[in-house]
Amino acid sequence: MELLVAIAIGALTASGVYLMLRQRSFPVILGLSLLSYAVNLFIFAAGRLAPELPPIITKTAAGYTDPLPQALVLTAIVISFGMTAVLVIMAIGAFLTSGDDRVSTGDAEEEA
Amino acid sequence: MSHLIIAPILLPAVLAGVMVLLRGSLAVQRALSLLGTLALCAIAVRIAQEAGTPQAYFLGNWPAPFGIALLADRLSALMLMLTSGLALVVLIHVLSTDWDRRGKHFHTLFLFQLMGLNGAFLTADAFNLFVFFEVLLIASYGLMVHGGGRERLRAGVQYVAFNLLGSSLFLIALATIYSTTGTLNMADLAAKLPDLPADNTALVRVAAVLLMVVFAVKAAMVPLQFWLPATYANAPAPVAALFAVMTKVGAYALIRFGTLVFPTDLPATGTLIQSLMQPAALATMAVGAIGVLGSRDLPRLVAFSALGSMGTLLLAIAAFTPAATAAGLYYLVHSTLAMAALFLISDITPHRRDGLIAALYMAAAVAMAGMPPLSGFVGKLLVMDALRDNAPVAWSFILLSSLLTILGLARLGSGLFWKAEEPERALSRTAPFAPLASALCIAALGALTLGAGPVMAWATQTAAGLYAPTAYIEAIQLQGVNQ
Amino acid sequence: MTLALIAALPFLGALIAALSIPLGRSMTTLVAAACTATALVAILSYLPQILSGQVITWQLDWLPQLGLNAEFRLDGLSVLFAMLILGIGLLIQLYARFYLDPSDPFGRFMAFLMLFQGAMLGIVLSDNILLLLVFWEMTSLSSFLLIGYWNHLAVGRQGARMALAVTGAGGLSMIAGMMILGHVAGSYTLSDILSQREVIQASPLYLPALILILGGAFTKSAQFPFHFWLPHAMAAPTPVSAYLHSATMVKAGLFLMARLWPVLAGTEAWFLIVATTGLITMAFAAKVALFKDDLKAILAYSTVSHLGLITFLLGLGTEQAALAAVFHIICHATFKAALFMVAGIVDHEAHTRDIRLLGGLRRVMPVTFIVATLATLSMAGVPPLNGFLSKEMMLEEAAHTAWLGNSWLIPALATIAALLSVGYSLRFLAHGFLGQSRNDDTYSPHDPGFGLLASPALLAVLVVAIGLAPMPLAAWLVDSAAAAVTGGHPHAHIALWHGLESPALYMSLLAFGGGFMILGSYDRLRAMWDAFPRPEAKPIFDAGLNGMTAAARALTQGLHNGDLARNFAVAIAAMLALALYAFASGSHSAGTRAMAEVPFDAGSAWVVLTLATLAATVMHHRRLLSLLLVGIIGLILSAGFAYLSAPDLALTQITVEVVTVVLMLLALNFLPDTTPQESTSLRKLRDAVLAGAAGLAVAALAFALLTREAIFAPISAFHLAQSKPGAGGTNAVNTIIVDFRGFDTYGEIIVLGIAALLIYALVEGLLITKWRNEPDAADPDAGDAHPVMLRVATRLILPISMMVGVYLFLRGHNQPGGGFVAGLVFAIGLVMQYLASGIEWAEARQRFPFHGLIGAGVLIASATGLGSWAAGRPFLTSNYGYFHVPLVGEVELATAALFDLGVFLCVLGAVMLALNGIARLAKGSS
Repeated sequence: MELLVAIAIGALTASGVYLMLRQRSFPVILGLSLLSYAVNLFIFAAGRLAPELPPIITKTAAGYTDPLPQALVLTAIVISFGMTAVLVIMAIGAFLTSGDDRVSTGDAEEEA
Repeated sequence: MSHLIIAPILLPAVLAGVMVLLRGSLAVQRALSLLGTLALCAIAVRIAQEAGTPQAYFLGNWPAPFGIALLADRLSALMLMLTSGLALVVLIHVLSTDWDRRGKHFHTLFLFQLMGLNGAFLTADAFNLFVFFEVLLIASYGLMVHGGGRERLRAGVQYVAFNLLGSSLFLIALATIYSTTGTLNMADLAAKLPDLPADNTALVRVAAVLLMVVFAVKAAMVPLQFWLPATYANAPAPVAALFAVMTKVGAYALIRFGTLVFPTDLPATGTLIQSLMQPAALATMAVGAIGVLGSRDLPRLVAFSALGSMGTLLLAIAAFTPAATAAGLYYLVHSTLAMAALFLISDITPHRRDGLIAALYMAAAVAMAGMPPLSGFVGKLLVMDALRDNAPVAWSFILLSSLLTILGLARLGSGLFWKAEEPERALSRTAPFAPLASALCIAALGALTLGAGPVMAWATQTAAGLYAPTAYIEAIQLQGVNQ
Repeated sequence: MTLALIAALPFLGALIAALSIPLGRSMTTLVAAACTATALVAILSYLPQILSGQVITWQLDWLPQLGLNAEFRLDGLSVLFAMLILGIGLLIQLYARFYLDPSDPFGRFMAFLMLFQGAMLGIVLSDNILLLLVFWEMTSLSSFLLIGYWNHLAVGRQGARMALAVTGAGGLSMIAGMMILGHVAGSYTLSDILSQREVIQASPLYLPALILILGGAFTKSAQFPFHFWLPHAMAAPTPVSAYLHSATMVKAGLFLMARLWPVLAGTEAWFLIVATTGLITMAFAAKVALFKDDLKAILAYSTVSHLGLITFLLGLGTEQAALAAVFHIICHATFKAALFMVAGIVDHEAHTRDIRLLGGLRRVMPVTFIVATLATLSMAGVPPLNGFLSKEMMLEEAAHTAWLGNSWLIPALATIAALLSVGYSLRFLAHGFLGQSRNDDTYSPHDPGFGLLASPALLAVLVVAIGLAPMPLAAWLVDSAAAAVTGGHPHAHIALWHGLESPALYMSLLAFGGGFMILGSYDRLRAMWDAFPRPEAKPIFDAGLNGMTAAARALTQGLHNGDLARNFAVAIAAMLALALYAFASGSHSAGTRAMAEVPFDAGSAWVVLTLATLAATVMHHRRLLSLLLVGIIGLILSAGFAYLSAPDLALTQITVEVVTVVLMLLALNFLPDTTPQESTSLRKLRDAVLAGAAGLAVAALAFALLTREAIFAPISAFHLAQSKPGAGGTNAVNTIIVDFRGFDTYGEIIVLGIAALLIYALVEGLLITKWRNEPDAADPDAGDAHPVMLRVATRLILPISMMVGVYLFLRGHNQPGGGFVAGLVFAIGLVMQYLASGIEWAEARQRFPFHGLIGAGVLIASATGLGSWAAGRPFLTSNYGYFHVPLVGEVELATAALFDLGVFLCVLGAVMLALNGIARLAKGSS
């Protein structure tokens, strides 16, 4: 199972990075989203895998998985959602005002 | 326990919350913003007075390392004072030039930005540092595209995207740290890492390097500097001035982690960070200085000079000696103010170029280029003096980049103030107080120069505390896991 | 008056001059001159003490940590220079008052001049070499302002920048040199350093320090090959040239060499570098001066030549040479300042400085002619003027000096230089003032008034007086200055006649003869000179600087070309390389933790996940499809979280996923539906390799973490143990996010709130800007945009989603759920209304202040946290209790729940505000 999780993280990362390296805003946003999936899974994996041991305190539980990474992932998910939303709207704004959804800015220097 | 320590975080958050809730008129927002910033200045000074012994604050009353702790030591206090002082100047500029009318929510974003910065400087928890990084980043996105416009939005997309990569890396690094050490509290890490088994250092080393990379993105260290020039040059000028302290967040984190968590005498990481930072810092200085010479417009030139000054600062930090860190702290304060001054002036020059503005430009340029009589010269000498061991390389880079900066600033300034026609004096009528904020920056630089002795004394004490972090760790009052 | 106060006086004068601009030019001059005069008198008041051999010092700590302190010193050398700076300064102020045109901004001029004067005075009064550096660089800056004073002239701007570049670079070199010197000597205080000769000269750092310091001195004093900036600085108004190039700026380098003479001079290296450079400069510049046509250019090269002369003398390292050097500094200052002012007068009267157009001024400007004659002949070294005396002393020294064993080279070069000097001096006089006028202009030049003539005339009087009576007038000053230079007790014997056995006599005679011959055959010499091409410094310098600038520009534009993909690639490659290096240089062993088994459904989900990921990448050009694939990935992740004991994560992931997909769908409404194929295969390969490497690295790191236990006991053991008793909840994840680490959550909701406000602000901004790209406006009447079934269904869903939200909220503390998820579920219900019924319908019914929700959320969360202050506890300290509610039973009320309410409100408000914003944008576009 551990190997599968690791591979999934790797696949998501690779896919995310590849899309991030595209020239248009939409694939870049998708790539960053995939990367954030990978990262969330990675943080989760940092608490190791413990199937059937949810961190809900009961008298009968055989044990608990590490709850802290889960809490961290929750925070990370929310933050990356907010960031993605901002990036999306900025990309829309850039597209609407410049007529182009390329992420590169061409000649970087503004005309003086 | 004094609640003073958390005030720099809560005050702006609550004020911003009130602003959002009430959606009051601009006048009300301005008043709240100004009062809040003034209060932050006072609070920062108060904290600094007590920061001789590090003061901890345990959120939720949970003992460290289980809850989140804040800690105010001299370094945090210095950054708080710098941030609030800079914020005040920037706010004065915004109010005197009506920048806040050019878009919505300026003051809310501004206060949240301060909250994020202050939180980053105060927290003693690595993950909480991430959260405050995100707070300050997202507020900075808003401020950066304030007023809108094509170029600004496109530069904004890049800025956000690049930082998202940085944030992802931050999380990976933090997860690695937690997974190997089981803790997130910085003092706890400092206490535990020396006990790391010698045969199991690779993962911690990876985490250390990744964290360094994350902070290097913030500090715009080559080759992670790409976001800076376009962002700073395209941001509204007062926002760019405020961003002068944003790169310093990266510098702060590098100092904090490099002295507390991964000091050079830690067996697991040793001089790893130091050895990687030094060449990168030199390259940053070079890219910045060359960029200054190669820039045609003022905002972009200032952005590159900001990059160059980060190079100098990073070089001072990378030495990881008390003397170099103390010099670096002085230089940090100086370069923040000098950069802010130049950005604020760049906001005025398109509309007004009379003798006063020329004098302000000259003073700011002199400071930025490290020429006497302003603090840049003092800072440069201090850094050079502290880097004597590596003098041939470090000095050459510092002095040559100084020369390129002088040439670039002189060329641009002579074109701007001597060659070009003076523009219509529209601004002096509509915004008579526009030069006030930049003049305040210059005055602060002057004070920093005249008061170099006391400031350095404080910086030296600060650095001494950083390299003997026992007081910091003790203030956190670490508890065992099973208590 | 203390030395510090004296040093501050000119700066004070600059300030007052700037402030007194409204009072007019005479008043400005008066206040500035008053400051200068006061400083001069104060300096002179110390004269008796100095002449008796005392050294006056004054000190105040400034930055003791570095050794940079306000330390001042007055000895024979500094008195001499201070008198020159202030004395000639006064004359210049008077002259400038009458020289500058009323249209020139006079107050600014005077302020710059006083700044410069202060910097110069600071240099000579400094008793701390770092402080000296401060003033040194300030002379570069203030001279930049002075040279560029007539900023409407391109030559002025360029000359100013060139001077700044050359002297600024030299200053930087000197910084390094001084920091080495101070380090070797163990102090930056001059008085300490001057006593460390043996230590310094024995140090291996002596040579680098010497070279770096001389780099500063040579550039400032325009020594070959750094001389070229000086003639271009002539673009400045003549009073500036007269001041900078006779008594001050260019003398700063000489001062420095004299100042550090006791510790730096006397070595082979010093002699070879300094004396040789001086000699070359002296001869070379004298030759160039001969062929210049602009009066000021002739004087400029003459200045370079004379600076070379003094440098040469200092380089000899002997006491007698030092005496000669000091004396020539005085002589040169007097005649050269006078000559510059004469050139200014000629320019003023004849409206040209071109010597080819002048001539015959003797008749129309008799007084000026007398002044010019005296000063020029002194420059040529004609007896009985002061220039003769010091030149004889130089020739005498040169005659006795061998260069690397060669005993004729130096005397020969010195004689040639003297000869050329006679040549250009005679030409200056003959072509300028004698003969017939060659100017066809109708101007009728005549002697100017007292204001312009007084200063040069006074100097001409000094030229004669010192020449006739050197011993009573100058020797004491020379002695005391030379004593300060050498540290010994030299005595000058200055006389017009040294006897027939003096070689200097013959060298002088040779020089006079040659000089007259040059004048006689000037036209032929000039033709020869003009026939040969020679390198011009300015084009070379300009080409160099422009080339450097262009290269810097190209490099910067290439590096910062705004290509995000490339920047990402560089950053990712750097990250990978650094991480790999850190890993490889550490110690590592394979993990030993037992692995969980893979049930069939988990395995198949993994296969789908991997395939979907791959597909999303390969098919990313089809945007909608790839978005759906990403949605599927999110769903599988959610299921995976549920399977792997993370129910809270599963819930959050799925709700966030829904909102994200909705958001992206809305975005696709604006953006193009497809991504064009524009990458080359090579580029794709590069990206794939980088992506693969990144994936591999992260996977490997994850695997390493998954297969080993933490080295130290994780802090979460505390959270599990304290979740119920300490935080009052059984869901450990929830207690962590609302209690143990509630502060993270506090920051997190603020991030979300800011995101929403930012989106709102952006949308507002976009709605009022002009769009380059109108999105395909959906035809409002086309088809069944909002199917009835969907509308009805979603309206039923709304209350259900609200109930689910409340339920999730309430149980969050003990079971999976909580304020965040609840807020999202609520939001999803509302968003459905938008999707199904259209924006107008939904908006009409939901005129809801989402801003307020965010604000309220933040404030409730803050207030909850602040509530604990009342109990004397830190921010966010939780409290809880159990209450019996009829019908419902035991209900737990915790402050954490209140905090969670803040989270709920903030999340709901943020999501709605954000989506609402995008929806408004869509409406605005149609």
